[in-house]
Amino acid sequence: MSLAQFLTIFISAVFIYNVILSRFLGLCSFVAISKETKPALAMSLSVMFVTTMSSIITWLIYRFLLIPFGITYLRTISFILVIATFVQFVEMVIRKVSPSMYRFFGIYLPLITVNCAVLGVAVLNVDMFFVKDKAVAGSFFYSAFQGICVGLGYTLAMLLMSGIRERLELCNVPKCFKDFPLAFIIASIMSLSFLGFGGFPR
Amino acid sequence: MKEKLIVSFSPHLHKKESTSRIMWIVALGLIPAGGAGVFIFGYSALRVILLGVISALLTEAAIQLLAKKKVTLLDGSALITGLLLAYNLPPEVPFWIPIVGSFFSIAIGKQAFGGLGQNIFNPALTGRVFLMASWPKYMTTFTSPLNYDAVTSATPLAFLKEGRALGHISYLDLFLGKRAGCIGEVCILALLLGAAILFIKGYISWHIPLTYIATVGLFTYIFGANGLFSGDWLFHILSGGLCLGAFFMATDYVTSPLTRKGQVIFGVGCGLLTAVIRLWGGYPEGVSYAILMMNAATPLIDRFTKSRVYGRA
Amino acid sequence: MKKLFSEFIKGVIGENPTFVLVLGLCPTLAVSVSVINGIGMGFAATFVLLGSNVIISMIKNFVPERIRIPCYIVVIATFVTITELFMKAYSPALNRALGIYVPLIVVNCIVLGRSEAYASKQTVRDSLFDGLGMGVGFTLALILISAIREFLGSGTIMGERLIKGFEPAFVMGMPSGALLVIGLLLAFFNLLKGRRA
Repeated sequence: MSLAQFLTIFISAVFIYNVILSRFLGLCSFVAISKETKPALAMSLSVMFVTTMSSIITWLIYRFLLIPFGITYLRTISFILVIATFVQFVEMVIRKVSPSMYRFFGIYLPLITVNCAVLGVAVLNVDMFFVKDKAVAGSFFYSAFQGICVGLGYTLAMLLMSGIRERLELCNVPKCFKDFPLAFIIASIMSLSFLGFGGFPR
Repeated sequence: MKEKLIVSFSPHLHKKESTSRIMWIVALGLIPAGGAGVFIFGYSALRVILLGVISALLTEAAIQLLAKKKVTLLDGSALITGLLLAYNLPPEVPFWIPIVGSFFSIAIGKQAFGGLGQNIFNPALTGRVFLMASWPKYMTTFTSPLNYDAVTSATPLAFLKEGRALGHISYLDLFLGKRAGCIGEVCILALLLGAAILFIKGYISWHIPLTYIATVGLFTYIFGANGLFSGDWLFHILSGGLCLGAFFMATDYVTSPLTRKGQVIFGVGCGLLTAVIRLWGGYPEGVSYAILMMNAATPLIDRFTKSRVYGRA
Repeated sequence: MKKLFSEFIKGVIGENPTFVLVLGLCPTLAVSVSVINGIGMGFAATFVLLGSNVIISMIKNFVPERIRIPCYIVVIATFVTITELFMKAYSPALNRALGIYVPLIVVNCIVLGRSEAYASKQTVRDSLFDGLGMGVGFTLALILISAIREFLGSGTIMGERLIKGFEPAFVMGMPSGALLVIGLLLAFFNLLKGRRA
C-alpha cells in the first residue's frame, strides 16, 4: 500500500475523473437537487455514505462469494441488490432524523439506488483493484477509499452547482431558461471546462 | 409588471463612471494586442477579429430585439467579448469559426443567463472551449509568425508537450510575439501596454493577475523539470495564453470574486489548475479551462469570503 | 377510457420523463448519439417499463415495505434480462450498438422511479398505461435529442449524410453537447408553453 496510490485515487476521483462532470454518472440527482446548498449537501452526504459502504460490501462479496464460486458474471445484479438494501436503510434513517428533508428528496432518495455513480464506483473498484480474479495488495483499502473519494467528487460538483444556482436566483434570468434549462446549460459548460483534465495518465 | 429592484452581484460601481465607460476603456486596452496580432500574422488575423466582433454585436442585438429588451450594443460589452473570442483563435481558422464562436459566447455564455452582470462563466472562454470541443482540428492549427504565407507551425507549449527542444525560440521572441499562437496572446509587450492602461485607470487590481502569474511561475519552477526547483518558469509565464488570460479574462468583474481575499484565492486556483494541466495533462495549454473552472467556484468563494456584516456573528 | 388515455398522454407530454421529471439522464446522454440507437433503447426501455410496472402493481400488496426497493430491482432485472436475450436473438446488431446500456436499463432511473412513485400505489390497469406513456415519452425524447445530436455531430440522420461540406461539431457526440441540447430544448418548450398561456 503506498501513499502515492492513495493520493492518486483522491485526485483522480475528485477532480480529474470527477464522477459527475467527467464520467457523467449520477446526473439525475445532480440536476434535480442542486438548486439549494443545504439539500445538495444532504444529498451528497447520503450518496457518499452509500458509495463508501457499498464499496466495502461489494468488495467483500466479490472477493469471498463471487470469485470462489466462479460466478463473477453475476456481479452487476448482486452489486445492485447490495446497493438497494443499503439505500433502503439510509431511507429509513433519514425519514426518522429529518422528515422534512425526506419529503424534500422525494423520489430522488430511493433513486440513489440506481444512481449510476454508486454502481459505477463498485464496478470501477473491481476493475481497478482485481487482476485476473485476484485482489491486488491493499485492494480492500483502495476500494473503500475510492468509495469515499467518489462521494467527495460528487459533493464537489453538487456544491459548485448549488453555489451557482443560488446566485442565479438573485438574477433576472430569462423566463424560458429558469431552473432546469439553465441548470443543464451550466452542467454543459462545467463539463466542457472539465475537458481540460483530459489525457491525464491514469 | 416592471422589473423589480434587482440585487445583482457585480459590477457594483460607485464611481462617477458608468459601466459602458469602463468597457470602452477596456476595449482600448485590448487594441495593442490585436494590432500586434495583425502585424505578426497578417490579414487573416484582421479578418478573424472583424468577424468575431461583428458576429458578437449582431447576436446581442438580435437577441435583445427578439426579447423586446433594450439594445445595449453601445455599452461595449459585446464588443469586448467578440474581441476576446477572436484573440483566442488561431489566425488561419475558417471564416465561420469566429462567427459561430461569438454567437455561442453571446447567446449561451451571456444572454441565456440574463445578460450583462449575470453570467457565471467568462463568455469569450465559453465560446472558445465550445469551439475547441467541436472543431479541434481547426482550433489547434497554428502558423508561423511574420510569415504571411501561412506556414503551419506548432506553438512553443505544444513543442514542450511533445518533448521537443525549443532551442530556436528566445525569451525575447516570446515577449515580442515572434511565435506561433492565438492572435491576441502572442505579444506580451502589447498585452502589458494595454493592461497598464487599465491599471492606471484603476479598472483592474493587481490581485488576480499577480497571484495567477506568480502561482504558475512558482509551480512550474518547482515541478516543471525532471528535478525539483529547476523548471523554466520564465518560459511558462511568457508562453501560451497566460498573460492574455490573467490580465483580461480572469479579471472580468462579473465572473470573479468580489473581495480581495477571494480574488487571491481565485488567482491561486487558476494558477494551480493551469500549471497542472500544462505539466501533466493531455493539452499543451490550460488557461481557458482553469479560468472557467474557477468561474464556477466563484459563487462559493464569494460566499465564504464575504466581509462580516456588522451585528451578525 | 378517457382517464386511461390521460394516464398515457401524461407520460408523453405533461410528465415526460426526460424533459419534465429529469430522469434517466445517464443512458440518454450516452445513447442519444444516433437516431437508430435512440429508437432501439426507447423500445427496450418501454418494454421493461411495461413489464415491471404491471408486475409490481400486481404484487404491491404482498411486498413488505422495508424491503420493497430490493424486490422491485429483482422484478426489473428479470425483465431486463428477458429484453437482453430477446435482443441478442432477434436483433444482434442493435444489441451490439447499445452495448452495455441494455443491462444498464436496470439502473435507469425512470424504471425504478415509476415503480416506486406509481406502480406501487396504483391499479394494474393504470400502471400499465403509465408505463406505456412513460416509455413512449422517453422514446420520443430520445429520438428528438439524437436527431439533433446526430445531425450536428456527424452530419447524418439515420446514417444518411444530408448536407455536403458540412463540418460536424464533435462536441455533439460528447455528453457536454447532449446536456446543451437538452437545456436548449427545454428552454424552447418553455417558450412554447409561455406563448400559449
